[in-house]
Amino acid sequence: MIRMAITRINVGPIHPSTHGVARLVVDVDGDTIVNVEPHVGFLHRGVEKLTETRMYMQAPPYMEKLDYFAPMAYNDAYVAAVEAAMDIQPSEKAKYVRTILLELQRLASHLVSIGTLCNDLGQMFTGFMWAFKDRDIILDLLQEATGSRMFYVNMRLGGLHSELPADFEEHAITTMNYIEKRIGEYESYIEKNTVFMERMKGVGVLSSEDAKALGVTGPVLRASGINYDVRKNSPYYAYSKLYFNPKVMLQGDNFSRYKVRMMEMRESARLVKAAIKAMPDGAATGMPVKLRSPNAVNKVSVVSREVPRGECMMYLVADPQKPYRLSIRSPSMVNLAAISHIAKGARFADLFSIFGTLDVVLGCVDR
Amino acid sequence: MLAQDLINNIVNIQFWLSSPSLLYNIIGIVLYIIIVFILFSVFGYLIGWLERKLIARAQYRHGPTYVGMWGLLQNMADLIKLLSKQDIVPEKADRVLFAISLPALLALSIFIILIIPYSPNLQATNLGLGMLIVFVIIAFTPLLLFTAGFSSGNKFAAISAQRSVLVLLGYELPMLISVAAVALIGGGYSLQAIVSAQSGYYYLLLMPIGFVVFFIALLAEFERPPFDLREADSELIAGWLTDVSAPYYALALYLDYARMFLGSIIVSILFLGGWLGPSYLPPLVWLVAKAIAVSVLVILIRATAFRMRVDRVLRFGWLWLVPLSLINLVMTYIIFVK
Repeated sequence: MIRMAITRINVGPIHPSTHGVARLVVDVDGDTIVNVEPHVGFLHRGVEKLTETRMYMQAPPYMEKLDYFAPMAYNDAYVAAVEAAMDIQPSEKAKYVRTILLELQRLASHLVSIGTLCNDLGQMFTGFMWAFKDRDIILDLLQEATGSRMFYVNMRLGGLHSELPADFEEHAITTMNYIEKRIGEYESYIEKNTVFMERMKGVGVLSSEDAKALGVTGPVLRASGINYDVRKNSPYYAYSKLYFNPKVMLQGDNFSRYKVRMMEMRESARLVKAAIKAMPDGAATGMPVKLRSPNAVNKVSVVSREVPRGECMMYLVADPQKPYRLSIRSPSMVNLAAISHIAKGARFADLFSIFGTLDVVLGCVDR
Repeated sequence: MLAQDLINNIVNIQFWLSSPSLLYNIIGIVLYIIIVFILFSVFGYLIGWLERKLIARAQYRHGPTYVGMWGLLQNMADLIKLLSKQDIVPEKADRVLFAISLPALLALSIFIILIIPYSPNLQATNLGLGMLIVFVIIAFTPLLLFTAGFSSGNKFAAISAQRSVLVLLGYELPMLISVAAVALIGGGYSLQAIVSAQSGYYYLLLMPIGFVVFFIALLAEFERPPFDLREADSELIAGWLTDVSAPYYALALYLDYARMFLGSIIVSILFLGGWLGPSYLPPLVWLVAKAIAVSVLVILIRATAFRMRVDRVLRFGWLWLVPLSLINLVMTYIIFVK
């Protein structure tokens, strides 16, 4: 066999398929990948350090910019950490409303993931535009609920910025029915495509042992056959009261990762409807934002949340009035690190579908 | 006299060329060049617009709307923008090869354009081996793309160059075998003869398998999705065009559309009866209409297809296209010739 010299290719930071500013240094032997080395830090803003210089409720806008496809999820994780430090419990209604909004956020985020995956597989933006159109409908809902489409900053200590509008529930249920129908359309449109299936099945396999060892979380972990979902394993908000099952696939390949997201989208739509039906009466509004919040009573609080990309953990060492130190475990960062393991031995063209199914957001990787 | 002839025989190039007068011959050549130029610049341009519009519609978008009616002039605006930009030649590039590869691709396309007949009387010369020459010239294209890829000194372009050769292995053979079937029942390699032989039934009806194989191979030849591995924008940035800038990139864009139109014309001639059609429209109009229909099909495929991987293209070519084209050839021989 003729061995070509190993070529080092620099993919990114300016490349159409790196979803931002990731830089992958790829060594290829012909068309086979020998080594992938992700380089991160192009989007580093020092979010963790910035929070140390701010009062507690001045930090949420920074948290939202961590993951610009699921801002509310990170905001929620931070606010939950602060609540834990202050021993504040959100009201029962607020728990349900947060659950609904977070699931909507998960839907919006997964839609982006599916859309960009289509693009990475060389489709001319069709799946991308379809997914973004449906995401837009969900953003409409979120706009109704929070007043903003992209960065919501709607989490308050003990609740939310405002109550849900009167017709939100009805609107949300019709939208979820529509989205469920659309997910079926996506599946028939994408999964009946032989080229798609050929490029997804059996490509980029991550075994369950490796998934555990690498510490990946979220859909990537569940696609490798490990039933771990923070919403189920240590339930928060209304998840303990709502019936739902984490979606698990066993193969650990590209297709499983895609399919887990598809199934999670159905589950999210169902969860939103169930949460709306089971929502108790009461007030969801939390404390208004003031510079002086209640004093933190716990020195350390650790909060773990299932954000769309995996498990986000906020480790907060609290001073009475501002964070002493905040450390964020970003699921994107850990999932991105797994690419050097998964992509080894894959073909160069598959690097991008693997990257797409890992679904990292660089804002969250670089923090 | 001359004015009368001009009015009567404006697209009848054979009339001008067969005339004993040198003046008439020269007029014929000039007319031919003008007609073909208009054909390919106008329809190449329109196909570019159609592609943007159709793909936009498939994606819940409007496509270009602002410049000109229905955005018809958007591509012109893009062209002007590209022409007014700086032409950058990379430091590592082989300057000569880098500069000539795209114009050479244009030249190859012009070769084919000049050989193809557009109606019974609109052809530069009726070559007996016309079809063979067309496919010989087409086979040169990957070679050019190969040199173009390596000349720019970019690694993505180099990968693209390797891919163009690999893809060539996958599709060139089935394409030629299905063309051989056409020659078998068309009675030779003359494109005129092939079209007139289809006056009974179009070859699309006589050998549908051959048509499908040829169409797929032509998609690969003209870099249309799902075989756009050379230009693979989500993998190789722009493949062999990564370092191509400004006027050259405008040329590349134009060639993309013009070659798609050219390929559609070749498909129309070989399988869809070329300019044959009810006589209330002139032959040239029928040919262009069929070519546009084929182009629309190509565009719609682009709107939905995922890109194939190189090894899969080879696999697909050798496992499906080659056997299918051979079956088509044998069946054609048994049914229509023997």
